[in-house]
Amino acid sequence: MTTMLKAEGLTKQFVLHHQDSVTLPVFAEVSFSVDQSEAVILHGPSGVGKSTLLRILYGNYRPSKGHVHIRHGQDFIDIVTATPRRVLEARRKSIGFVSQFLRVIPRVKTIEIVKDPMLARGVSDAEATHRARDMLARLNLPERLWTLAPSTFSGGEQQRVNIARSFVDPSPILLLDEPTASLDAANRDVVVELIAEARQRGSAIIGIFHDEAVRDRVATRRLDLTTYKAAA
Amino acid sequence: MRESSTPVIADPDPILIAKNVTKHYGERIGCEDVSFSLWPGEVLGIVGESGSGKSTLLRCLAGIDRPTSGEILFRHEGEPISLFNIPEPTRRKLMRTEWGIVHQNPRDGLRMDVSAGGNVGERLMDRGDRHYGKIRRSAMEWLTRVEINEDRIDDRPRQFSGGMQQRLQIARVLVPEPRLVFMDEPTGGLDVSVQARLLDLLRVLVRDLGIAAVIVTHDLAVARLLTDRLMVMKGGYVVEEGLTDQVLDDPHHAYTQLLTSAVLAA
Ligand SMILES: Nc1ncnc2c1ncn2[C@@H]1O[C@H](COP(=O)(O)OP(=O)(O)OP(=O)(O)O)[C@@H](O)[C@H]1O
Ligand SMILES: Nc1ncnc2c1ncn2[C@@H]1O[C@H](COP(=O)(O)OP(=O)(O)OP(=O)(O)O)[C@@H](O)[C@H]1O
Ligand SMILES: [Mg+2]
Ligand SMILES: [Mg+2]
Repeated sequence: MTTMLKAEGLTKQFVLHHQDSVTLPVFAEVSFSVDQSEAVILHGPSGVGKSTLLRILYGNYRPSKGHVHIRHGQDFIDIVTATPRRVLEARRKSIGFVSQFLRVIPRVKTIEIVKDPMLARGVSDAEATHRARDMLARLNLPERLWTLAPSTFSGGEQQRVNIARSFVDPSPILLLDEPTASLDAANRDVVVELIAEARQRGSAIIGIFHDEAVRDRVATRRLDLTTYKAAA
Repeated sequence: MRESSTPVIADPDPILIAKNVTKHYGERIGCEDVSFSLWPGEVLGIVGESGSGKSTLLRCLAGIDRPTSGEILFRHEGEPISLFNIPEPTRRKLMRTEWGIVHQNPRDGLRMDVSAGGNVGERLMDRGDRHYGKIRRSAMEWLTRVEINEDRIDDRPRQFSGGMQQRLQIARVLVPEPRLVFMDEPTGGLDVSVQARLLDLLRVLVRDLGIAAVIVTHDLAVARLLTDRLMVMKGGYVVEEGLTDQVLDDPHHAYTQLLTSAVLAA
C-alpha cells in the first residue's frame, strides 16, 4: 500500500497571550498514517481538536511538536518544517482542504473559481471549463449562477461551489472539515458519491462529519481523538 | 520516512535577499535587523501598527534609502548585486527597469502634468522603445487592462478620480514588466468598492505576470487576499513571519494575537 500521509507525535497547545497567557493544551503525541484510497474519520466530542488536527495537516496551524510528512509526487514533504513556498506548492498539487465555508474572492465568477485549481495544475482552459460545468450541474447549482461571483449566494450555494472546486480534480490527499454540514439530503448524497469516486482514483481522505449516516457511508477507519486528550 | 533530499522542482535563486537590514534615524529606530529572501512569483506582505517601520524597510529594500547597516542583494542577470555597493546611476537604472514602486499617494508615482498615455508610454521609452505608434498601442492596452477607458488616454491624471489615478500608477509601474514590485498601502485612502476592484486587478496581474512583490498594508484582509507570506513588524523589529494563513489563523506572538483579534473578519 502506498502511504500518502504520516503524522508523527503531533502535539498542540495554544498560548493565549491576552488572556493571562493561559496555555490551552489540545492533544498530545498523535501519530498515524494514511494509505492511498483510505478514508479516515476523525472522531470525538466538540472541542477535542478535530479541526485543529486537520488544519495542522494542511500547514494552516503550527503544531507545538511533531511532523506531518505528506506525499508530493515521488517525495515526501514535512509540512511543519517546509518553507512557505514549498507548502504552497504542496497545496497546489498534493493536498487540499475543504471546509463548509467558501472564501470568496471579490468579483471572481463561480465558474472561474471552480476552474482555478485545474488551471494551476496545467489542465487546458477548454477541458477545465467542460469539467467545471459538469461538476456544477451535478451539484444542482442553477446555471444562471455560474457566471456570477458567489458573494451574494446563500450559505448552501457557496458551500456547493466550494465542493465543486475541491472535487472537480481531487487532490491526492483531501482534508474535509464537515463539507456536508448545511446541505440537503440530495446534495449530501452527491458529496458522498464524490468522496467515493475520489477514493477510487486513489485519493487518501481524512475527514470530519457530524452526520452519523454520512460517516458510516464514507469511513474505512476511525481515529478517536479522545485517546490523545492532553492533560490540562 | 525519507525526507526528500532532491526537491521536486529545483529551487530557483531568490530574486531579493535582505541581510540584517537596519535603519536608524539618529537615536530613533526605523527598522532593526530584518532578514529574508524573496523568490520569483512570491508575494510578501508586511503588516504592523503605525510607526512600526514598514515604510522605512520598504524604502531600503527598494533602493530609495540607504540602510544604516546590513545588505540588500538583488539578483540581476544571474548575479547577486549588493544594492548600496554599486554606483548611484547603476542603482537608478535598475530601479527604473528591473523593479517598480507603487506609492500610497498616486501623485508621488505619476507625472501630473503629462497625459495618461504619456505616463505609461514614457516607461516604454525608458526601456528603449522608439516607435510612436507601437508605444501608443501598448499604452492603450495597458489602460484597458487597468480598466481606464481608452478615450481618456489624452487626459491628465489630475482629471481622474483617486481610484483611477491609482490604477494609472499601477499601469505605469507594470508596463515595463518589472520582475519585482514594491507597494506601500496601494489601496489606502480609497473607498471600499474601489479597493475591491483594485485588489482584484492586482491579484490577477501579479499572478499572470509572475512577478515578485513586497506589499505594505495595515489591512489584514488585503494581506490575506494578495500575499503568500507575511512579516509582522513592531517597534522596527519583525516579531513573527510565515505563511500568510498560518500567521493570521494561528498567531503565536502576543502582538500578532492582538492584531488578528482586532480584525476578526480578516
Ligand atoms: N486559533 C485558535 N486559537 C486558540 N484556540 C483555538 C484555536 N483554534 C482552536 N482552538 C481551541 O482548540 C480546541 C479544539 O478546537 P477544534 O476546533 O479543533 O475542536 P473540534 O474537535 O473541531 O470541535 P467541533 O466538533 O466543535 O468543531 C478548542 O478548545 C478551541 O477553542
Ligand atoms: N525621515 C525620518 N526621520 C526621522 N524619523 C523617521 C523618518 N521616517 C520614519 N521615521 C520614524 O521611524 C519609525 C518608523 O516609521 P515608518 O514610516 O517606517 O512607519 P510605518 O510602519 O510605515 O507607519 P505607518 O503605518 O504609519 O505608515 C517611526 O518612529 C518614524 O517616526
Ligand atoms: Mg471542528
Ligand atoms: Mg508607512
